[in-house]
Amino acid sequence: MAEPYLRVENLTKQFGPFTALGGVDLEVYPGEVHALLGDNGAGKSTLIKTLAGVHQPTSGTIYIEGKPVNFRSPRDASAAGIGTVYQDLALNQLMSVTRNFFMGRELKGPLGTLRMDEMNKIAHDEMLKIGIDFSDPTQAVGTMSGGQRQTLAIARAIHFGAKVLILDEPTSALGQKQQMGVLKTIKRVRARGDIAIIFITHNEIHSRLVGDRFTFLALGKVIGAGTSDEIGDHEMRRLMAGGAEMGDLEQELAQI
Amino acid sequence: MADRSESDRLAQETWLQRLIRRPEIGAFIVMIVIIVALAIASDGKAFNALGLKNNIKIIAQYGIIAIGAALLMIAGEFDLSIGSMIGFAGMSMAIMLKWGLPFGLGEATPFLAFIITLAMTLTIGWIIGTIVVRSGLSSFIVTLAFLFFLRGTTEVSFRLINQSTQVSGLPDYKEESWFANILGGEVFGWFYDAWYWIGTKMIAGVEFPTRLTADNINFLAALNINRRLEQWVTGFDARLMWFMIIAAAAYFVLSRTQLGNWIYATGDNKEAARANGVPVNRVKVGLFMFTAFCATMFAACQVFDTNTSDAAKGNLMELFAIAIAVVGGTLMTGGFGSVIGVVFGAITVGLVANAVFFIPTIDGAWFRVFLGSILLAAVFANERIRKRITGGI
Repeated sequence: MAEPYLRVENLTKQFGPFTALGGVDLEVYPGEVHALLGDNGAGKSTLIKTLAGVHQPTSGTIYIEGKPVNFRSPRDASAAGIGTVYQDLALNQLMSVTRNFFMGRELKGPLGTLRMDEMNKIAHDEMLKIGIDFSDPTQAVGTMSGGQRQTLAIARAIHFGAKVLILDEPTSALGQKQQMGVLKTIKRVRARGDIAIIFITHNEIHSRLVGDRFTFLALGKVIGAGTSDEIGDHEMRRLMAGGAEMGDLEQELAQI
Repeated sequence: MADRSESDRLAQETWLQRLIRRPEIGAFIVMIVIIVALAIASDGKAFNALGLKNNIKIIAQYGIIAIGAALLMIAGEFDLSIGSMIGFAGMSMAIMLKWGLPFGLGEATPFLAFIITLAMTLTIGWIIGTIVVRSGLSSFIVTLAFLFFLRGTTEVSFRLINQSTQVSGLPDYKEESWFANILGGEVFGWFYDAWYWIGTKMIAGVEFPTRLTADNINFLAALNINRRLEQWVTGFDARLMWFMIIAAAAYFVLSRTQLGNWIYATGDNKEAARANGVPVNRVKVGLFMFTAFCATMFAACQVFDTNTSDAAKGNLMELFAIAIAVVGGTLMTGGFGSVIGVVFGAITVGLVANAVFFIPTIDGAWFRVFLGSILLAAVFANERIRKRITGGI
């Protein structure tokens, strides 16, 4: 078994008296999609924000390639190769594809000038690699579809050195066809073999389609984990519902 | 059907279609309409030798501050203190020139008066910017406070030091100081020399009556020749050169450099910019200092041109600057705009402001009526264009 790129051990996070994460373990391997599932309020967001350096853990350790690390800021996390693609994607709609791609990390020539041709080419090529052929890198991001924007944000994270790609509900708020487009993109990134993907979702079908390994969170704790072979469809549905049996839920519903 | 991809939905465009999708096109069309209308209404007088000089003077004046205001608006902030900053800078320079340097450090040269004033205004710009980014308050409120604060300071300083709210009768510094001359003197004399030269060729052999008729005078004025058949106008105000320098620098920075990308990113969505490592606060503070710089240049050109200053200088200029930026296609909420559009906007508003001098039959107050109408018309046009470019945002 290969060594996990990112390993989380007994991570807890408390906000005052509230325990958002109560001892979470997680292992993420390069070339694998690790689906992180759970209901609203299960602690998914807190977990990824801790991995991205936004929050500092109350206790527990994060290991990168076996070495313990301590992220004091998002900058530390991205320097360690953790690229987070949030739901809002951190894109500027009025700006062009290229200007968004290189936002804050522009390629500079003399006098701080932008090497625009080179940047256009890189943005185009990086997006082509993971599946969309973008004819005009000067068009505004506001004219792109949701799926294309997602691809842009992912391509950007990879280009700037992400080894762990955290995707925060990338398929929510998209139409059916675009959801499939994003899943294809995830598959293509996975096929590179060197990038570990953490895929956060509500959707069991999507996670089943691309996931290699699953972790289920409920109320800040891991209630189930395993590879896709180990977790059957029935078990998956039970864990998605926070550990309740579907039969029980059906009964509860019937009583109303 | 299966081979269709998203990118196919973006139609290929001809150069003409690309041209009419430029963000500046609305401002450009409005400008052309105004130029033609004014030329017809003034019977060509607005663009004779002196008319052009006077128009360019006000266009350059407006343009200098509008570019500062526009860059700041693109970064998502307002500066309502521009007008008061002009008054403050003018007061500071004029008082130093008349009463000497502060703390009894002796006579002030034009250069020293300018540099010390610039140091003060840049510091105030830095303070305004720092208050805005640190407190998170709306820049509208913070700069409104400085509008009152600076105007009050200007008037109080005049009364305390000068015993009167105006300084006049300063020596004409342009005569001996090269520095005063590049701010308040004339530039591009070759343009008017060439104009006069062409004029002399055109009237060669023409006999004029000893008492020139009104038609004769108009004809000669269009050739840069005065009633005594000498060269009439010798050059543009130096403001034009500063306007061109500031506009060229702003255009270069905004469209070609990393800093320009940061300015757009800051105004569009500052959280997204910050998440990607753009130093949002430093960009904003820097741009507040840039508007202070533009206001100081406006005041310096005025002081060294007229050798006077008073406490009301620059009044309402902040609103003109914002109006021009908007006519030029700058988005009020930030993230969108172009320097070329602002230059077109400055030309439009400058011509409208001056129009009443060339059309003597209309009341001067119509200027504001026209300005209001043009502002609305330009905003509607620009909204449509922007939506076409950015996909309806």
